[in-house]
Amino acid sequence: MGDEVYSDLMRELKTGKYVFTGELEPEKAGDVNEPIEMARELKGMVVACNVTDNPQSFAYVNSMAASYLIQKEAGMECVYQLRCSDRNRMALLSDVLGAGALGLKNVLALAGDHVSLGDTPDAKPVFDLDSTTLIKLIRTMVDEGKDLGGNEIHNPPKLHVGGAAAPGAAHLKAEVGKVKRKINVGVEYLQTQVVYYTDVLDKFFDELGKVDVPILVGIFPARTFGQADFFDKYVAGVDVPPDYLEAMKKTKEIKDKEKKKEEVDRVNIEFFTGFLEHLKGTPAAGCHMMAVGYPRIIPPLKKLME
Amino acid sequence: MIAQEKKPIEEILGYLEGKKKVVVMGCGGCATFYHTGDTKAVNAMAETLTKEGKDVFKMPLPFSIQACDIEKSGVWLEKNRKELENRDAVLVLSCGDGVQVVTEYMDEKMEITKAVIPGNDALGLVGGGPKKFKETCQSCGMCELGKTAGICPLTSCGKGLMNGPCGGVREGDKCEIDEEKDCAWVKIYKRMEKLGEVEKFEQMLDPHEWSKMKRPRLFEIEEPIGMDVIGAMKGMMTVKFGPKPKLDE
Repeated sequence: MGDEVYSDLMRELKTGKYVFTGELEPEKAGDVNEPIEMARELKGMVVACNVTDNPQSFAYVNSMAASYLIQKEAGMECVYQLRCSDRNRMALLSDVLGAGALGLKNVLALAGDHVSLGDTPDAKPVFDLDSTTLIKLIRTMVDEGKDLGGNEIHNPPKLHVGGAAAPGAAHLKAEVGKVKRKINVGVEYLQTQVVYYTDVLDKFFDELGKVDVPILVGIFPARTFGQADFFDKYVAGVDVPPDYLEAMKKTKEIKDKEKKKEEVDRVNIEFFTGFLEHLKGTPAAGCHMMAVGYPRIIPPLKKLME
Repeated sequence: MIAQEKKPIEEILGYLEGKKKVVVMGCGGCATFYHTGDTKAVNAMAETLTKEGKDVFKMPLPFSIQACDIEKSGVWLEKNRKELENRDAVLVLSCGDGVQVVTEYMDEKMEITKAVIPGNDALGLVGGGPKKFKETCQSCGMCELGKTAGICPLTSCGKGLMNGPCGGVREGDKCEIDEEKDCAWVKIYKRMEKLGEVEKFEQMLDPHEWSKMKRPRLFEIEEPIGMDVIGAMKGMMTVKFGPKPKLDE
Protein backbone atom coordinates (compact mmCIF):
# COMPACT_ATOMS: atom_id res chain seq x y z
CA MET A 1 0.00 0.00 0.00
CA GLY A 2 1.28 3.43 -0.88
CA ASP A 3 1.94 5.93 1.92
CA GLU A 4 0.99 8.99 -0.08
CA VAL A 5 -1.86 11.08 1.19
CA TYR A 6 -3.98 12.77 -1.43
CA SER A 7 -7.06 13.89 0.49
CA ASP A 8 -8.00 15.74 3.66
CA LEU A 9 -10.13 12.78 4.67
CA MET A 10 -7.17 10.41 4.50
CA ARG A 11 -4.95 12.97 6.24
CA GLU A 12 -7.34 13.14 9.19
CA LEU A 13 -7.72 9.35 9.29
CA LYS A 14 -3.94 8.88 9.30
CA THR A 15 -3.35 11.44 12.04
CA GLY A 16 -5.80 9.65 14.28
CA LYS A 17 -8.14 12.62 14.56
CA TYR A 18 -11.75 11.61 15.19
CA VAL A 19 -13.28 12.01 11.76
CA PHE A 20 -16.72 13.25 10.75
CA THR A 21 -18.06 12.88 7.23
CA GLY A 22 -21.39 13.85 5.72
CA GLU A 23 -23.53 12.82 2.81
CA LEU A 24 -24.97 14.65 -0.17
CA GLU A 25 -27.51 13.25 -2.57
CA PRO A 26 -27.76 14.54 -6.14
CA GLU A 27 -31.31 14.15 -7.39
CA LYS A 28 -33.23 13.60 -10.58
CA ALA A 29 -32.56 17.10 -11.82
CA GLY A 30 -30.57 18.91 -14.43
CA ASP A 31 -28.42 20.61 -11.81
CA VAL A 32 -26.78 19.98 -8.46
CA ASN A 33 -27.69 23.30 -6.88
CA GLU A 34 -29.28 21.76 -3.80
CA PRO A 35 -26.37 19.50 -2.84
CA ILE A 36 -24.01 22.42 -3.49
CA GLU A 37 -26.07 24.54 -1.10
CA MET A 38 -26.03 21.73 1.48
CA ALA A 39 -22.26 21.35 1.04
CA ARG A 40 -21.81 25.05 1.80
CA GLU A 41 -23.79 24.60 5.01
CA LEU A 42 -21.77 21.53 5.97
CA LYS A 43 -18.41 23.24 5.47
CA GLY A 44 -16.36 23.16 8.62
CA MET A 45 -18.65 20.55 10.19
CA VAL A 46 -17.29 17.55 8.29
CA VAL A 47 -13.99 16.88 6.53
CA ALA A 48 -15.62 15.38 3.45
CA CYS A 49 -18.98 14.39 2.07
CA ASN A 50 -20.08 11.24 0.29
CA VAL A 51 -21.83 11.98 -2.97
CA THR A 52 -24.25 9.17 -3.65
CA ASP A 53 -24.30 7.20 -6.87
CA ASN A 54 -27.87 6.27 -7.81
CA PRO A 55 -28.81 5.39 -4.21
CA GLN A 56 -31.23 2.47 -3.82
CA SER A 57 -30.96 2.25 -7.62
CA PHE A 58 -32.90 5.43 -8.29
CA ALA A 59 -31.24 7.08 -11.29
CA TYR A 60 -30.01 10.57 -10.41
CA VAL A 61 -27.31 13.03 -11.51
CA ASN A 62 -24.02 11.23 -12.15
CA SER A 63 -22.02 11.18 -8.91
CA MET A 64 -18.72 12.06 -10.59
CA ALA A 65 -20.20 15.18 -12.18
CA ALA A 66 -21.90 16.09 -8.91
CA SER A 67 -18.72 15.49 -6.87
CA TYR A 68 -16.70 17.68 -9.21
CA LEU A 69 -19.23 20.53 -9.10
CA ILE A 70 -19.63 20.32 -5.33
CA GLN A 71 -15.85 20.44 -4.79
CA LYS A 72 -15.52 23.33 -7.26
CA GLU A 73 -18.50 25.43 -6.16
CA ALA A 74 -18.66 24.73 -2.43
CA GLY A 75 -15.06 23.78 -1.72
CA MET A 76 -16.24 20.63 0.04
CA GLU A 77 -14.02 17.58 -0.41
CA CYS A 78 -16.07 14.74 -1.84
CA VAL A 79 -16.09 11.00 -1.46
CA TYR A 80 -17.23 9.94 -4.89
CA GLN A 81 -19.45 6.87 -4.56
CA LEU A 82 -19.08 4.42 -7.42
CA ARG A 83 -21.38 1.42 -7.88
CA CYS A 84 -20.73 -1.74 -9.86
CA SER A 85 -24.41 -2.23 -10.64
CA ASP A 86 -24.47 0.10 -13.63
CA ARG A 87 -21.01 -0.14 -15.21
CA ASN A 88 -18.76 -2.87 -16.54
CA ARG A 89 -15.05 -2.98 -15.71
CA MET A 90 -14.14 -0.78 -18.66
CA ALA A 91 -16.60 1.92 -17.66
CA LEU A 92 -15.47 1.71 -14.03
CA LEU A 93 -11.86 2.12 -15.09
CA SER A 94 -12.55 5.09 -17.31
CA ASP A 95 -14.73 6.67 -14.62
CA VAL A 96 -11.93 6.34 -12.06
CA LEU A 97 -9.50 7.90 -14.55
CA GLY A 98 -12.05 10.67 -15.12
CA ALA A 99 -12.47 11.20 -11.39
CA GLY A 100 -8.70 11.54 -11.02
CA ALA A 101 -8.55 13.99 -13.90
CA LEU A 102 -11.31 16.08 -12.29
CA GLY A 103 -9.39 16.28 -9.03
CA LEU A 104 -11.53 13.93 -6.96
CA LYS A 105 -9.50 12.42 -4.13
CA ASN A 106 -11.70 9.74 -2.57
CA VAL A 107 -13.77 6.94 -4.05
CA LEU A 108 -16.11 4.69 -2.14
CA ALA A 109 -16.30 1.39 -4.02
CA LEU A 110 -19.74 -0.17 -3.77
CA ALA A 111 -21.51 -3.13 -5.34
CA GLY A 112 -24.75 -1.14 -5.27
CA ASP A 113 -28.35 -2.14 -4.87
CA HIS A 114 -29.87 -4.30 -7.54
CA VAL A 115 -31.51 -2.23 -10.28
CA SER A 116 -34.82 -4.04 -9.74
CA LEU A 117 -35.19 -2.26 -6.38
CA GLY A 118 -35.17 1.24 -7.85
CA ASP A 119 -37.06 3.39 -10.30
CA THR A 120 -35.67 1.77 -13.45
CA PRO A 121 -36.38 -1.89 -12.68
CA ASP A 122 -36.20 -3.12 -16.27
CA ALA A 123 -32.56 -2.03 -16.65
CA LYS A 124 -29.97 -4.74 -17.24
CA PRO A 125 -27.94 -5.10 -14.04
CA VAL A 126 -24.20 -5.12 -14.74
CA PHE A 127 -22.16 -6.23 -11.68
CA ASP A 128 -19.21 -7.14 -13.91
CA LEU A 129 -16.98 -6.36 -10.93
CA ASP A 130 -17.98 -6.40 -7.28
CA SER A 131 -16.92 -4.06 -4.50
CA THR A 132 -13.80 -6.13 -3.72
CA THR A 133 -12.56 -6.37 -7.29
CA LEU A 134 -13.33 -2.66 -7.79
CA ILE A 135 -11.18 -1.85 -4.76
CA LYS A 136 -8.45 -4.06 -6.24
CA LEU A 137 -8.77 -2.31 -9.61
CA ILE A 138 -8.47 1.15 -8.04
CA ARG A 139 -5.48 0.18 -5.89
CA THR A 140 -3.77 -1.33 -8.91
CA MET A 141 -4.44 1.83 -10.93
CA VAL A 142 -3.20 4.19 -8.22
CA ASP A 143 -0.27 2.18 -6.83
CA GLU A 144 1.01 0.36 -9.88
CA GLY A 145 -0.26 2.59 -12.65
CA LYS A 146 -1.88 -0.41 -14.33
CA ASP A 147 -5.32 -1.72 -15.09
CA LEU A 148 -6.57 -5.25 -14.42
CA GLY A 149 -5.12 -6.43 -17.72
CA GLY A 150 -1.67 -5.08 -16.79
CA ASN A 151 -1.91 -2.23 -19.30
CA GLU A 152 0.08 0.86 -18.33
CA ILE A 153 -1.71 4.03 -17.23
CA HIS A 154 0.06 7.26 -18.03
CA ASN A 155 0.06 9.62 -15.03
CA PRO A 156 -2.08 7.38 -12.78
CA PRO A 157 -4.92 8.90 -10.75
CA LYS A 158 -4.17 10.00 -7.20
CA LEU A 159 -7.05 9.02 -5.01
CA HIS A 160 -7.99 6.87 -2.05
CA VAL A 161 -10.43 4.00 -2.02
CA GLY A 162 -12.85 3.15 0.74
CA GLY A 163 -15.21 0.23 1.08
CA ALA A 164 -18.46 -0.52 2.83
CA ALA A 165 -19.32 -2.88 5.67
CA ALA A 166 -22.73 -3.92 6.94
CA PRO A 167 -22.70 -4.55 10.70
CA GLY A 168 -26.40 -5.41 10.64
CA ALA A 169 -26.03 -8.08 7.96
CA ALA A 170 -28.15 -11.15 8.65
CA HIS A 171 -25.10 -13.46 8.46
CA LEU A 172 -22.36 -11.60 10.28
CA LYS A 173 -19.60 -14.18 9.75
CA ALA A 174 -20.01 -14.11 5.97
CA GLU A 175 -20.14 -10.31 6.04
CA VAL A 176 -16.96 -10.10 8.09
CA GLY A 177 -15.27 -12.61 5.79
CA LYS A 178 -16.06 -10.31 2.89
CA VAL A 179 -14.83 -7.24 4.80
CA LYS A 180 -11.54 -9.02 5.49
CA ARG A 181 -11.32 -9.79 1.78
CA LYS A 182 -11.59 -6.07 1.09
CA ILE A 183 -8.86 -5.40 3.63
CA ASN A 184 -6.68 -8.07 1.99
CA VAL A 185 -6.87 -6.30 -1.36
CA GLY A 186 -5.98 -2.92 0.11
CA VAL A 187 -9.07 -0.98 1.04
CA GLU A 188 -7.85 2.17 2.80
CA TYR A 189 -10.80 2.78 5.09
CA LEU A 190 -14.21 1.30 5.76
CA GLN A 191 -17.53 3.04 6.12
CA THR A 192 -20.36 1.10 7.66
CA GLN A 193 -23.97 0.97 6.67
CA VAL A 194 -26.24 2.82 9.07
CA VAL A 195 -26.37 1.32 12.56
CA TYR A 196 -28.91 2.20 15.26
CA TYR A 197 -28.22 -0.54 17.79
CA THR A 198 -25.06 -0.51 19.92
CA ASP A 199 -25.10 -4.29 20.34
CA VAL A 200 -25.14 -4.73 16.55
CA LEU A 201 -22.05 -2.55 16.37
CA ASP A 202 -20.30 -4.36 19.22
CA LYS A 203 -20.91 -7.78 17.66
CA PHE A 204 -19.51 -6.50 14.38
CA PHE A 205 -16.32 -5.15 15.97
CA ASP A 206 -15.92 -8.35 18.02
CA GLU A 207 -16.30 -10.57 14.97
CA LEU A 208 -13.94 -8.43 12.90
CA GLY A 209 -11.22 -8.30 15.57
CA LYS A 210 -8.31 -5.90 15.35
CA VAL A 211 -7.70 -4.54 11.89
CA ASP A 212 -5.34 -1.85 10.61
CA VAL A 213 -7.95 -0.09 8.52
CA PRO A 214 -9.85 2.89 10.00
CA ILE A 215 -13.61 2.40 10.26
CA LEU A 216 -16.22 5.14 10.06
CA VAL A 217 -19.54 4.15 11.59
CA GLY A 218 -22.61 5.25 9.69
CA ILE A 219 -25.45 6.91 11.54
CA PHE A 220 -28.65 8.28 10.11
CA PRO A 221 -30.37 11.03 12.04
CA ALA A 222 -33.59 11.33 10.05
CA ARG A 223 -35.00 14.73 9.16
CA THR A 224 -38.50 13.34 8.77
CA PHE A 225 -40.46 10.28 9.85
CA GLY A 226 -40.67 9.30 6.16
CA GLN A 227 -36.88 9.04 5.87
CA ALA A 228 -36.60 6.83 8.95
CA ASP A 229 -39.54 4.71 7.85
CA PHE A 230 -38.01 4.24 4.37
CA PHE A 231 -34.75 2.99 5.90
CA ASP A 232 -36.60 0.60 8.16
CA LYS A 233 -38.79 -0.80 5.42
CA TYR A 234 -36.59 -0.80 2.36
CA VAL A 235 -32.91 -0.73 3.26
CA ALA A 236 -31.72 -4.29 3.81
CA GLY A 237 -29.51 -4.87 6.80
CA VAL A 238 -30.84 -1.79 8.66
CA ASP A 239 -33.34 -2.03 11.50
CA VAL A 240 -34.61 1.24 12.89
CA PRO A 241 -35.59 0.99 16.58
CA PRO A 242 -39.38 1.09 17.07
CA ASP A 243 -39.14 3.70 19.88
CA TYR A 244 -37.21 6.07 17.63
CA LEU A 245 -39.64 5.47 14.77
CA GLU A 246 -42.59 6.12 17.08
CA ALA A 247 -41.08 9.35 18.39
CA MET A 248 -40.39 10.50 14.82
CA LYS A 249 -43.93 9.58 13.79
CA LYS A 250 -45.36 11.80 16.54
CA THR A 251 -43.50 14.81 15.13
CA LYS A 252 -45.73 14.57 12.05
CA GLU A 253 -48.64 15.82 14.15
CA ILE A 254 -46.95 19.12 15.00
CA LYS A 255 -48.34 21.81 12.71
CA ASP A 256 -45.98 24.67 13.53
CA LYS A 257 -42.93 24.24 11.29
CA GLU A 258 -40.39 25.65 13.73
CA LYS A 259 -41.75 23.62 16.64
CA LYS A 260 -41.71 20.51 14.47
CA LYS A 261 -38.05 21.10 13.60
CA GLU A 262 -37.21 21.58 17.28
CA GLU A 263 -38.98 18.34 18.19
CA VAL A 264 -37.29 16.37 15.38
CA ASP A 265 -33.92 17.67 16.58
CA ARG A 266 -34.79 16.82 20.17
CA VAL A 267 -35.78 13.23 19.23
CA ASN A 268 -32.55 12.76 17.31
CA ILE A 269 -30.34 14.25 19.99
CA GLU A 270 -32.05 12.18 22.67
CA PHE A 271 -31.68 8.95 20.70
CA PHE A 272 -28.12 9.53 19.52
CA THR A 273 -26.79 10.74 22.89
CA GLY A 274 -26.61 7.18 24.13
CA PHE A 275 -25.45 5.77 20.81
CA LEU A 276 -22.64 8.27 20.33
CA GLU A 277 -21.55 7.92 23.95
CA HIS A 278 -21.21 4.20 23.27
CA LEU A 279 -19.43 4.83 19.97
CA LYS A 280 -16.61 6.62 21.82
CA GLY A 281 -15.70 3.31 23.45
CA THR A 282 -15.50 1.36 20.18
CA PRO A 283 -12.56 1.06 17.76
CA ALA A 284 -14.37 3.39 15.31
CA ALA A 285 -12.13 6.06 13.77
CA GLY A 286 -15.03 8.38 13.19
CA CYS A 287 -18.62 8.80 12.29
CA HIS A 288 -20.24 9.05 8.89
CA MET A 289 -23.29 11.23 9.41
CA MET A 290 -25.71 10.32 6.68
CA ALA A 291 -27.94 13.28 7.54
CA VAL A 292 -29.06 14.03 3.99
CA GLY A 293 -30.61 17.50 3.79
CA TYR A 294 -30.28 17.89 7.57
CA PRO A 295 -27.04 19.78 8.25
CA ARG A 296 -28.32 21.56 11.34
CA ILE A 297 -28.25 18.31 13.34
CA ILE A 298 -24.53 17.77 12.86
CA PRO A 299 -23.09 20.39 15.28
CA PRO A 300 -25.16 19.21 18.27
CA LEU A 301 -24.32 15.57 17.50
CA LYS A 302 -20.63 16.37 17.14
CA LYS A 303 -20.79 18.13 20.48
CA LEU A 304 -21.95 14.88 22.06
CA MET A 305 -18.70 13.27 20.92
CA GLU A 306 -16.45 15.86 22.55
CA MET B 1 -33.35 -28.56 -19.34
CA ILE B 2 -34.68 -25.29 -20.65
CA ALA B 3 -37.55 -24.17 -18.43
CA GLN B 4 -40.32 -22.40 -20.25
CA GLU B 5 -43.81 -21.08 -20.01
CA LYS B 6 -46.53 -20.38 -22.54
CA LYS B 7 -46.77 -16.88 -23.95
CA PRO B 8 -50.04 -15.04 -23.36
CA ILE B 9 -52.45 -15.90 -26.18
CA GLU B 10 -53.06 -12.18 -26.84
CA GLU B 11 -49.39 -11.76 -27.75
CA ILE B 12 -49.46 -14.78 -30.06
CA LEU B 13 -52.66 -13.57 -31.75
CA GLY B 14 -50.95 -10.23 -32.29
CA TYR B 15 -48.10 -11.91 -34.19
CA LEU B 16 -50.65 -13.93 -36.20
CA GLU B 17 -52.70 -10.92 -37.25
CA GLY B 18 -53.47 -11.18 -40.96
CA LYS B 19 -52.19 -14.74 -41.08
CA LYS B 20 -54.99 -17.21 -41.64
CA LYS B 21 -53.30 -20.56 -42.30
CA VAL B 22 -51.08 -21.59 -39.42
CA VAL B 23 -48.90 -24.61 -38.57
CA VAL B 24 -48.66 -25.35 -34.85
CA MET B 25 -45.44 -27.26 -34.29
CA GLY B 26 -44.58 -28.93 -30.98
CA CYS B 27 -41.35 -30.09 -29.37
CA GLY B 28 -40.65 -33.48 -27.83
CA GLY B 29 -37.83 -32.19 -25.63
CA CYS B 30 -37.93 -29.68 -22.79
CA ALA B 31 -41.24 -28.24 -24.02
CA THR B 32 -42.84 -31.64 -23.52
CA PHE B 33 -41.38 -31.80 -20.03
CA TYR B 34 -42.87 -28.42 -19.13
CA HIS B 35 -46.18 -29.08 -20.97
CA THR B 36 -45.59 -26.09 -23.20
CA GLY B 37 -45.04 -28.00 -26.45
CA ASP B 38 -46.22 -31.58 -25.95
CA THR B 39 -49.00 -33.08 -28.07
CA LYS B 40 -51.60 -31.90 -25.55
CA ALA B 41 -50.29 -28.35 -25.79
CA VAL B 42 -50.30 -28.51 -29.61
CA ASN B 43 -53.93 -29.71 -29.56
CA ALA B 44 -54.97 -27.03 -27.08
CA MET B 45 -53.29 -24.28 -29.09
CA ALA B 46 -54.87 -25.59 -32.30
CA GLU B 47 -58.29 -25.51 -30.66
CA THR B 48 -57.80 -21.94 -29.43
CA LEU B 49 -56.58 -20.72 -32.81
CA THR B 50 -59.42 -22.50 -34.63
CA LYS B 51 -61.89 -20.66 -32.39
CA GLU B 52 -60.14 -17.46 -33.39
CA GLY B 53 -60.88 -18.28 -37.04
CA LYS B 54 -57.50 -19.72 -38.03
CA ASP B 55 -57.04 -22.69 -40.31
CA VAL B 56 -54.66 -24.86 -38.31
CA PHE B 57 -52.37 -27.74 -39.24
CA LYS B 58 -51.00 -29.60 -36.22
CA MET B 59 -47.43 -30.85 -36.20
CA PRO B 60 -46.62 -32.38 -32.82
CA LEU B 61 -43.18 -33.95 -32.37
CA PRO B 62 -42.92 -37.30 -30.56
CA PHE B 63 -41.28 -37.52 -27.15
CA SER B 64 -37.46 -37.10 -27.42
CA ILE B 65 -37.65 -35.45 -30.84
CA GLN B 66 -36.55 -31.93 -30.00
CA ALA B 67 -37.30 -28.98 -32.25
CA CYS B 68 -33.75 -27.68 -31.74
CA ASP B 69 -32.15 -30.96 -32.91
CA ILE B 70 -32.52 -30.50 -36.65
CA GLU B 71 -31.24 -33.95 -37.57
CA LYS B 72 -34.43 -35.30 -36.01
CA SER B 73 -36.95 -32.46 -36.17
CA GLY B 74 -35.91 -31.87 -39.80
CA VAL B 75 -37.52 -35.22 -40.62
CA TRP B 76 -40.90 -33.83 -39.58
CA LEU B 77 -40.33 -30.60 -41.43
CA GLU B 78 -39.44 -32.45 -44.64
CA LYS B 79 -42.39 -34.80 -44.18
CA ASN B 80 -44.73 -31.81 -44.02
CA ARG B 81 -43.11 -29.71 -46.75
CA LYS B 82 -46.36 -29.20 -48.66
CA GLU B 83 -48.22 -27.95 -45.59
CA LEU B 84 -45.37 -25.61 -44.74
CA GLU B 85 -45.34 -24.24 -48.28
CA ASN B 86 -49.06 -23.47 -48.18
CA ARG B 87 -49.22 -21.87 -44.75
CA ASP B 88 -48.86 -18.22 -43.70
CA ALA B 89 -47.05 -18.85 -40.44
CA VAL B 90 -45.48 -21.53 -38.25
CA LEU B 91 -46.10 -21.24 -34.52
CA VAL B 92 -43.40 -23.23 -32.70
CA LEU B 93 -44.17 -24.31 -29.14
CA SER B 94 -40.56 -24.61 -27.97
CA CYS B 95 -37.79 -22.45 -26.53
CA GLY B 96 -36.17 -19.80 -28.72
CA ASP B 97 -33.56 -22.29 -29.88
CA GLY B 98 -36.20 -24.54 -31.40
CA VAL B 99 -37.91 -21.57 -33.05
CA GLN B 100 -34.71 -20.34 -34.65
CA VAL B 101 -33.39 -23.74 -35.70
CA VAL B 102 -36.70 -24.34 -37.50
CA THR B 103 -36.56 -20.85 -39.09
CA GLU B 104 -33.02 -21.35 -40.36
CA TYR B 105 -33.66 -24.85 -41.69
CA MET B 106 -36.82 -23.79 -43.51
CA ASP B 107 -35.10 -20.69 -44.96
CA GLU B 108 -31.82 -22.24 -46.00
CA LYS B 109 -32.45 -25.95 -46.61
CA MET B 110 -36.09 -26.02 -47.62
CA GLU B 111 -36.16 -22.56 -49.21
CA ILE B 112 -39.50 -21.86 -47.59
CA THR B 113 -39.57 -18.46 -45.93
CA LYS B 114 -42.49 -18.05 -43.56
CA ALA B 115 -43.19 -16.10 -40.39
CA VAL B 116 -41.98 -18.37 -37.59
CA ILE B 117 -43.54 -17.34 -34.30
CA PRO B 118 -42.56 -18.26 -30.73
CA GLY B 119 -45.30 -19.80 -28.59
CA ASN B 120 -43.25 -19.91 -25.39
CA ASP B 121 -40.91 -17.85 -23.27
CA ALA B 122 -37.74 -19.71 -22.29
CA LEU B 123 -36.76 -19.18 -18.66
CA GLY B 124 -33.29 -20.65 -18.47
CA LEU B 125 -31.26 -23.75 -17.97
CA VAL B 126 -32.66 -25.45 -14.87
CA GLY B 127 -32.29 -28.60 -12.85
CA GLY B 128 -34.15 -30.35 -10.07
CA GLY B 129 -37.72 -31.54 -10.28
CA PRO B 130 -40.09 -33.30 -10.21
CA LYS B 131 -42.14 -30.17 -9.52
CA LYS B 132 -39.70 -27.47 -8.54
CA PHE B 133 -36.79 -26.45 -10.73
CA LYS B 134 -33.93 -24.06 -10.16
CA GLU B 135 -31.53 -22.20 -12.39
CA THR B 136 -28.03 -22.93 -11.14
CA CYS B 137 -25.87 -22.69 -14.28
CA GLN B 138 -25.84 -20.09 -17.03
CA SER B 139 -23.47 -21.94 -19.35
CA CYS B 140 -20.97 -19.10 -19.12
CA GLY B 141 -18.17 -21.13 -20.66
CA MET B 142 -15.77 -20.76 -17.70
CA CYS B 143 -17.01 -22.78 -14.74
CA GLU B 144 -16.13 -21.24 -11.38
CA LEU B 145 -17.63 -23.99 -9.16
CA GLY B 146 -14.18 -25.26 -8.15
CA LYS B 147 -13.54 -21.97 -6.35
CA THR B 148 -16.91 -21.48 -4.70
CA ALA B 149 -17.69 -24.67 -2.82
CA GLY B 150 -19.76 -25.98 -5.71
CA ILE B 151 -22.31 -23.15 -5.80
CA CYS B 152 -22.25 -20.79 -8.77
CA PRO B 153 -22.37 -17.18 -7.54
CA LEU B 154 -22.75 -15.83 -11.06
CA THR B 155 -26.10 -17.59 -11.31
CA SER B 156 -27.28 -18.14 -7.76
CA CYS B 157 -26.37 -14.70 -6.38
CA GLY B 158 -29.01 -12.20 -7.42
CA LYS B 159 -26.28 -9.78 -8.46
CA GLY B 160 -23.95 -12.44 -9.85
CA LEU B 161 -21.11 -11.24 -7.62
CA MET B 162 -17.81 -13.12 -7.70
CA ASN B 163 -17.08 -11.72 -4.23
CA GLY B 164 -20.11 -11.59 -1.96
CA PRO B 165 -22.26 -11.39 -0.01
CA CYS B 166 -23.47 -7.87 -0.73
CA GLY B 167 -24.57 -5.70 2.17
CA GLY B 168 -28.20 -6.51 1.61
CA VAL B 169 -28.53 -10.03 3.06
CA ARG B 170 -31.95 -10.27 4.69
CA GLU B 171 -33.17 -12.00 7.81
CA GLY B 172 -32.96 -15.77 7.42
CA ASP B 173 -29.99 -15.35 5.02
CA LYS B 174 -32.28 -14.37 2.18
CA CYS B 175 -31.43 -12.37 -0.93
CA GLU B 176 -31.69 -8.56 -1.08
CA ILE B 177 -33.72 -8.79 -4.26
CA ASP B 178 -36.11 -11.58 -3.41
CA GLU B 179 -36.93 -12.77 0.09
CA GLU B 180 -37.96 -16.15 -1.30
CA LYS B 181 -34.43 -16.88 -2.43
CA ASP B 182 -31.41 -17.84 -0.33
CA CYS B 183 -28.28 -15.71 -0.39
CA ALA B 184 -25.84 -17.72 -2.50
CA TRP B 185 -22.82 -16.26 -0.73
CA VAL B 186 -24.07 -17.26 2.72
CA LYS B 187 -24.62 -20.75 1.30
CA ILE B 188 -21.07 -20.71 -0.04
CA TYR B 189 -19.80 -19.61 3.38
CA LYS B 190 -21.69 -22.39 5.13
CA ARG B 191 -20.44 -25.06 2.69
CA MET B 192 -16.87 -23.82 3.04
CA GLU B 193 -17.29 -24.05 6.82
CA LYS B 194 -18.50 -27.66 6.54
CA LEU B 195 -15.69 -28.49 4.12
CA GLY B 196 -13.17 -27.07 6.58
CA GLU B 197 -11.95 -24.46 4.12
CA VAL B 198 -13.55 -21.27 5.39
CA GLU B 199 -10.19 -19.48 5.20
CA LYS B 200 -10.69 -19.49 1.43
CA PHE B 201 -13.65 -17.16 1.93
CA GLU B 202 -11.35 -14.24 2.73
CA GLN B 203 -9.47 -14.55 -0.55
CA MET B 204 -10.58 -12.40 -3.44
CA LEU B 205 -11.75 -14.24 -6.53
CA ASP B 206 -10.69 -12.65 -9.79
CA PRO B 207 -13.32 -11.09 -12.01
CA HIS B 208 -15.04 -13.65 -14.18
CA GLU B 209 -13.68 -14.14 -17.72
CA TRP B 210 -16.65 -13.14 -19.83
CA SER B 211 -14.54 -13.47 -22.96
CA LYS B 212 -15.66 -17.11 -22.99
CA MET B 213 -19.18 -15.93 -23.63
CA LYS B 214 -18.80 -14.16 -26.94
CA ARG B 215 -22.21 -14.45 -28.50
CA PRO B 216 -23.37 -16.20 -30.49
CA ARG B 217 -21.27 -19.13 -29.35
CA LEU B 218 -20.66 -21.82 -31.96
CA PHE B 219 -19.88 -25.37 -31.02
CA GLU B 220 -18.81 -28.44 -32.89
CA ILE B 221 -18.52 -32.13 -31.97
CA GLU B 222 -16.57 -34.73 -33.87
CA GLU B 223 -19.02 -37.58 -33.61
CA PRO B 224 -22.68 -36.62 -33.95
CA ILE B 225 -25.04 -38.81 -31.97
CA GLY B 226 -26.88 -39.52 -35.24
CA MET B 227 -30.16 -41.25 -35.89
CA ASP B 228 -28.99 -44.55 -34.39
CA VAL B 229 -30.12 -43.53 -30.95
CA ILE B 230 -33.58 -42.80 -32.23
CA GLY B 231 -33.45 -46.04 -34.18
CA ALA B 232 -32.73 -47.91 -30.96
CA MET B 233 -35.73 -46.23 -29.40
CA LYS B 234 -38.01 -47.17 -32.25
CA GLY B 235 -39.48 -50.08 -30.37
CA MET B 236 -40.54 -47.71 -27.61
CA MET B 237 -42.24 -45.26 -29.90
CA THR B 238 -44.72 -45.18 -32.70
CA VAL B 239 -42.56 -42.87 -34.75
CA LYS B 240 -42.80 -42.94 -38.50
CA PHE B 241 -39.63 -41.58 -40.02
CA GLY B 242 -39.91 -39.57 -43.20
CA PRO B 243 -37.36 -38.27 -45.69
CA LYS B 244 -33.87 -37.55 -44.34
CA PRO B 245 -33.28 -33.87 -43.64
CA LYS B 246 -30.54 -31.99 -45.47
CA LEU B 247 -27.69 -31.53 -43.00
CA ASP B 248 -24.47 -29.54 -42.98
CA GLU B 249 -21.33 -31.62 -43.34
